[in-house]
Amino acid sequence: MLPLSLLNAAQNKPMLVELKNGETFNGHLVNCDNFMNITLREVYQTTADGERFWKLKECYIRGSTIKYLRVPDTLLDAVKEEQNRARDAGRGARGAHVSGGRGGRGAPPRGRRSWRSRWPSTWR
Amino acid sequence: MLVILRDGRKLHGVLRSYDQFGECSDAKLQVEFTPVSQANLVLEDTVERIYHENAFAESWRGLYLIRGENVVLLGEIDLDQEDEIPLQQVDWNILEPYHKKEAETKKQREETKSHILYEKKGFCKEGGEGDGY
Repeated sequence: MLPLSLLNAAQNKPMLVELKNGETFNGHLVNCDNFMNITLREVYQTTADGERFWKLKECYIRGSTIKYLRVPDTLLDAVKEEQNRARDAGRGARGAHVSGGRGGRGAPPRGRRSWRSRWPSTWR
Repeated sequence: MLVILRDGRKLHGVLRSYDQFGECSDAKLQVEFTPVSQANLVLEDTVERIYHENAFAESWRGLYLIRGENVVLLGEIDLDQEDEIPLQQVDWNILEPYHKKEAETKKQREETKSHILYEKKGFCKEGGEGDGY
């Protein structure tokens, strides 16, 4: 579960975003992209010292300004379950027409590795 | 895992995943773009820890997604060895004022230092902003 796929899975979930300057944004995730740019709805913005607040209907945050995001603890479990279901479903579908095969997953092709090992080790 | 952020926060949690920006599977491309290692992290069951002299306190934080640029240090914790260190755990509310004061003095000192470096020693003003660790 990569960090950015976790973020994708957090859509419509509440989250807390802290920027590098210490300001925090509490709201529900509307959308995000691979730069970690995000849009939130029903946001409570808090200054770094925690003394002033604003309520925003919607806001956009540039990914590069973010320090971290806090998401619901349950999200990770939900995502894991979802992945398991997807994997099982995939297995079931494949198993149906690979009758009698000894498991679908073999060793990766050998040729590629020996080809790569010829590059200087710093390139790998 | 212990993670220290650029603002000085110390987080203890379980590292669930990471990605790696600036690195790519194509060997040739990697030579052209020097890898900037900026791994975003997912930390589960995270607690924030503060320390003051021989005491520490913890506060529950939960699931974190940390942007790689803000990470100073990332290290595995040996839980067995951790038990041998005689630090006393106290309540967060007791320790927090001490910790805040400490951070404030540190910040003040750094400000004075950079001011002197800039005024008298010919250093430039840039760099180091936001480093509280």
